[in-house]
Amino acid sequence: MPTPILVVDDSAMARKVLIRSLPTSWDVEITQAANGEEALVAYRAGKADVMFLDLQMPVLDGYGVLEALQKEGLNSFVFVVSADIQPLAQERVKKLGAMAFVKKPVTTEVIEAVLKQYGVIL
Amino acid sequence: MSVIPLTEDQRDAMQEITNVAMGQAGAMLATLLGTFVTLSVPRINVLALTEVPPAIGEMVGRDIEVTAVRQSFQGYLQGEAIVIYDQDGCKELGDLMGYDEALDRTDELELLLDVSNIIVGACLGGIIEQINNLTAEKVAGKLNFSAPSLMAEGVPAEKLINPEKLTWSYALLLEVNFKLEGRNFASHLCTLMSEQSIVKMKGILDEFIASF
Repeated sequence: MPTPILVVDDSAMARKVLIRSLPTSWDVEITQAANGEEALVAYRAGKADVMFLDLQMPVLDGYGVLEALQKEGLNSFVFVVSADIQPLAQERVKKLGAMAFVKKPVTTEVIEAVLKQYGVIL
Repeated sequence: MSVIPLTEDQRDAMQEITNVAMGQAGAMLATLLGTFVTLSVPRINVLALTEVPPAIGEMVGRDIEVTAVRQSFQGYLQGEAIVIYDQDGCKELGDLMGYDEALDRTDELELLLDVSNIIVGACLGGIIEQINNLTAEKVAGKLNFSAPSLMAEGVPAEKLINPEKLTWSYALLLEVNFKLEGRNFASHLCTLMSEQSIVKMKGILDEFIASF
């Protein structure tokens, strides 16, 4: 069965870049969300075994998503994908339950490496 | 020159490029000031020059007095970068930098110019770097910046720009802002690019969109 993955970013281009960077051999069913609230709706509908989450977004930002997921009992592998490269930002998202932090702009090599590192793909 | 506004895809791509660039600026600011910097979602718009002053007022906030530093840039892209601080934020800078005593006027101004220079250099440098990474011949090269100078003090944000002083009729306005956690300090970077730059940027954005 394909893995349900959720790509959350307010930029359509950023979502496209991320989706293109996923390993082609990975069998996935992709859902997209343009802000944190849409992301939570998709998550609750079981569309996010793995989530790629941007931080700066309108309506509800990435931190808000992580907080909500913690309250609901985090049940997803969340990779934060952001341009915010402050060390403190990385620390915070990990404290909020994110698996790892990936710096924008993403590349296929980096995405593949991080997915392997956390055992999401072999 | 007639200027066509950005398409939704172009605006979206410009927003993402700006987001990546401001991330670098935010990290430098965080290191310099020793505190966490909250980044905004960039706002991007092509406007007639007469619409620029009220748009800046809207973004920065009406009825507040600001201090602004400007730098012009030349090269592949051409325009004006304006860093806007509210009055309290200016006063707080010295404290943030760890100076024990209140700064005198000269030192405060120098600090303001330095911080502006860092924000402008990192943001525009980040945009140029991404254009160069995209194009094999690295078309954007390097921008030249004028020295930062104090533009205005204690004026409403919507009065900062006098459209008559610029020779273009349209501008690409990029706005990003940096807020410091637990502090009153906030600064806005408003970048205005010329019509010629808009045309070039639209071409680059189309390349970006096509490359993914």
